[in-house]
Amino acid sequence: MPGGDFHPWFFVIVAAWILVCGLGVVLFKRIMYSAVSMVFCFLGVAFAYALLNAPLVAIIQILVYVGAISIVIIFAIMLTEVQSGKMSLFFNRQSAAAAVVALVGAAVLAIVALSSDIGHIGSESLTPGLRQLSRLIFDRYVFPFELVSLVLVAAMIGAIVLATREKERP
Amino acid sequence: MNALYWWLLLSFLLFCIGAFGVLARRNVILVVMSLEIMLNAVNIALVATANFRGGARGAGTLFALFVIVVAAAEVTVGLAIVIANYRNKSTVQTDTYDELKG
Repeated sequence: MPGGDFHPWFFVIVAAWILVCGLGVVLFKRIMYSAVSMVFCFLGVAFAYALLNAPLVAIIQILVYVGAISIVIIFAIMLTEVQSGKMSLFFNRQSAAAAVVALVGAAVLAIVALSSDIGHIGSESLTPGLRQLSRLIFDRYVFPFELVSLVLVAAMIGAIVLATREKERP
Repeated sequence: MNALYWWLLLSFLLFCIGAFGVLARRNVILVVMSLEIMLNAVNIALVATANFRGGARGAGTLFALFVIVVAAAEVTVGLAIVIANYRNKSTVQTDTYDELKG
């Protein structure tokens, strides 16, 4: 069962939580319920990171996903609520084909992963500590780090430009 | 079974749930939400592999952080596009975006 120094039931609970909330996002009819379910799904993923000895990633997950991205999505829902309320149509026509694709994809991924040799797995955690991780960020991967901050600034400016035009149109 | 397999299995299942949402739902905002779920699934796989295998001095954990940042950028731009589109067409249903239909 899932290794580490926690009881295996923790994994079962967290996995069930994540999957149930993920299914809720996809299957709820009202989009606001989906959004709340998504927040809980992100929270469960943060718990999964904590179980995987990555507390920094767990904290950033809560800050960015649970804190920021959910707020942006809920704002977008409220801005388009007239159409996306309870009167919105649910699935589109290819939903049966989509279910088949998703199930086949899950089966193929699981078969490939389970039949591949991932080598010896020790019992000790190999996740880098905070000190080692900051060394990685600011020494070896400093260029991707700067690049990703540039991407973030460009995305923010692009979002503002995209969302605030439309004034000059008749 | 190995510990890593269970985490990978969880990641794949979550990824396919997100893929189903992207393919099947009609609301564009819900498509964006399902995309976020798919990215979270990828992150679980990255962090789990970095935890149990530890290749490249643990850079998998770092890449998960990069994925989170890029996902934040993606959701910002994506929802801005949704809002701009909503102003033009006053709808968020995917199958009404068919101006380029041949």
